[in-house]
Amino acid sequence: MLGLESYRLVADMNRLLALLFHQGVLDEQFLQLQQLQDESSPNFVSEVVNIYFNESEKLLRNLRTLLMDREQWEYKRVGVHLNQLIGSSSSIGANRIRNVCVALRAASEQNNRLGCLRALDVLEHEYCYLKNKLHEFFHIEQQRVLAAGIRYPNPMQQQQQ
Amino acid sequence: MATLQKLPYVSSCSTASSYGVHSDKGDMFPAGLRVLVVDDDFTCLRIVEQMLRRCSYLATTCSQATAALNLLREKKGCFDLVLSDVHMPDMDGFKLLELVGLEMDLPVIMMSADGRTSAVMRGIKHGACDYLIKPIREEELKNIWQHVVRKKWNETKEQENSSSLDESDRHRRGTDDVEYASSANEGSEGILKAQKKRRDVKEEDDGEFDNDDPSASKKPRVVWSVELHQQFVSAVNQLGIEKAVPKRILELMNVPGLTRENVASHLQKFRLYLKRLSGVSQQQIGLPNSFCGHIEQNPKLGPLERFDFQALAASGQIPPQTLVALHAELLGQPAGNVVLPAIHQQFLLQGSRQGQESVRGDVGVAYGQPLIKCPSNISKQFTQESPEDVNSNFKTWSSNSLGSIGPSSNLTGLASQNGNTLMGVMQNQQQLQRMLQEQQHKQSVVQESTPSINVQPSCLVVPAQPPSFQVVNRPSISQSCSFPGAEAIFSSADVTTPQPNNSIFAVGQMLGVNHKTAKILDGYSVAGPVSPSVSSCSGIAENNALRRVQNSAPEFNASRQVPVLFRDMNDCQGSYSEKSSHVLDHGTLRNIGFVGKEACIPSRFAVDEVEAPISCNGSTYRENGKKVKQEPNLDFIESVNMSNPMMQYFSPNDVMSVFSE
Repeated sequence: MLGLESYRLVADMNRLLALLFHQGVLDEQFLQLQQLQDESSPNFVSEVVNIYFNESEKLLRNLRTLLMDREQWEYKRVGVHLNQLIGSSSSIGANRIRNVCVALRAASEQNNRLGCLRALDVLEHEYCYLKNKLHEFFHIEQQRVLAAGIRYPNPMQQQQQ
Repeated sequence: MATLQKLPYVSSCSTASSYGVHSDKGDMFPAGLRVLVVDDDFTCLRIVEQMLRRCSYLATTCSQATAALNLLREKKGCFDLVLSDVHMPDMDGFKLLELVGLEMDLPVIMMSADGRTSAVMRGIKHGACDYLIKPIREEELKNIWQHVVRKKWNETKEQENSSSLDESDRHRRGTDDVEYASSANEGSEGILKAQKKRRDVKEEDDGEFDNDDPSASKKPRVVWSVELHQQFVSAVNQLGIEKAVPKRILELMNVPGLTRENVASHLQKFRLYLKRLSGVSQQQIGLPNSFCGHIEQNPKLGPLERFDFQALAASGQIPPQTLVALHAELLGQPAGNVVLPAIHQQFLLQGSRQGQESVRGDVGVAYGQPLIKCPSNISKQFTQESPEDVNSNFKTWSSNSLGSIGPSSNLTGLASQNGNTLMGVMQNQQQLQRMLQEQQHKQSVVQESTPSINVQPSCLVVPAQPPSFQVVNRPSISQSCSFPGAEAIFSSADVTTPQPNNSIFAVGQMLGVNHKTAKILDGYSVAGPVSPSVSSCSGIAENNALRRVQNSAPEFNASRQVPVLFRDMNDCQGSYSEKSSHVLDHGTLRNIGFVGKEACIPSRFAVDEVEAPISCNGSTYRENGKKVKQEPNLDFIESVNMSNPMMQYFSPNDVMSVFSE
């Protein structure tokens, strides 16, 4: 029964992941991330994703203040923040966030404040969506680990293969 | 001696060994690569760290550029590679890249989510060895070890390439090598205009960026003027050739506008020189062939215009000296005059500096841009030709300059150098000065010198070259009285002497008259520029000429056959070596650095000598053609043994001059 439970949880994870991939929220870089997880760092993916959310939350806050509070934007600082967000998002495979960031950067470079704010709204929405989905994903994985009683080094990887 | 010879090798060996460290590990090599990752984005930092770990690299992470820089400074040599983000709040990644390249000379890979061409271009311009666009993939990081190897490999490879003396190789480098090609272009364009301008530049400052040349407008080039190179060498000597790092050299030089890259490339070439010098004996065996080819090429040059000549010279096919001679020949007196003023300045300004420097200055004047590339050219030429002759010339130059110029500036240093050799020379120098001033030196000298044929060697070494020179000539003359050429030379000398400035040209012409004295002509043409500046300078020029004469004289004496020349050359060299040993005692450590300089200069001279016939009058060239070829070969053979002593000998002087400065 225990194995069955574990199998079901893994299936849930795969389904969720497939959905995110299908929606374009994630890309194959996330799989890369999973492949990086090994015995030496069993929680690598969740660790990185947590770091990412913490960092990007700060960045989003900064972006919001930069775009909202200032009559005259500091495009350069906006660009720096966006660059970092693009970098980290693409690194974990958060494809849609990355795309929105690119759009936001383009709008800021075109001095399109309205476009920037709109893009920022979308960005925050995407951020929340991804965070929720990944939170769900890791929650399932945690359950699976508990159910299995053992931890496979990289369950996702095994299923991929 | 031993130290001098070995040091260059050591430097090359060190790089090779470090490279070998990795290669020794065989399959394991990339493992253990020490990588410092700098990124303010913790997400990327963590991911990259993990990726590096999976590649079995030793990753160190740092979220702040300033902290990373401190880490690199504290633990120098603890990292093989730096991975840096571009955008960081505390310090621009490019700034970090620049500093790391400057201080640590480590390969730096930039990474950024910004993959736009402009951003990547910035990274390249700042010297990044790679630019990774985020997201970073593990496959990319697996390969980064190549940059570590490539960096070291390029260094050793360059040395190996430069050391190979194949004629084809020389040609290839002359044409294919981007650097050389560019230098050739600059040289061609620059010489004409730069001659006058360069003076100003040098007076103003130590070269730095040369904006005189239109071709240089795209990218500022550093002109390694005599002063600049001297600073460089003194810095290297101060640090020790083994521990000389571009960053430290740059600090010691303290020249605004000079970048670490400039110093690094110059240091690389400098090391090559040193290696060359030490390896000359080995390499020279193969030289004759290439040399012959070289000479043959020269005739073709005749019809070419100045531009082509300069280009060739810049590309290393034609020695600087030859160019000077060519100018004189092609342009006639005017060209010589043009060249001379520049030389005068050199001497006046750098009077304290030794002959080699003066030579450099001359070359620089004539070449303009090529100066920058001189090291490479020099190295090539040097290997090809016999350093001995050149060295001897230098020696004479330095001694003369010392005697005449010394009083004003660096007499003390020179005196110390000369001390050993010049003991009896002083009188000679005085005589020489007199002679120069009076310009009757040759006649009087001839009388004085004629008695001793053996004097030649000493003359070469001794500062009082004029006397010796004359002596040499006299012997040759006396011996070769029957030779019309010899007589012509003498007569010409007499004629020329009256007017120091014109003396060079006259001498050159005279030499030209004597086909056999082709070498002499070259030497004259070169020396000529110098002489006009000061009486002492003229003396120097004369000395050079004398030297040439000596060389040529032997030829005459020995039935003009090459073999004879060899004998003479050997004698001369032997004398040099002896003296050099004395000199070496004074400053062995610094000799190394100086050796490089001197070697370069000498090589040029040698080249000039060899090719001088060509530069000389066309008629002369034809006549000399065969002989010239033979001579070079012989010289080379002889020089194999002698080259080392010569180098050492010169080096001390250079050191001395540096100190005095």
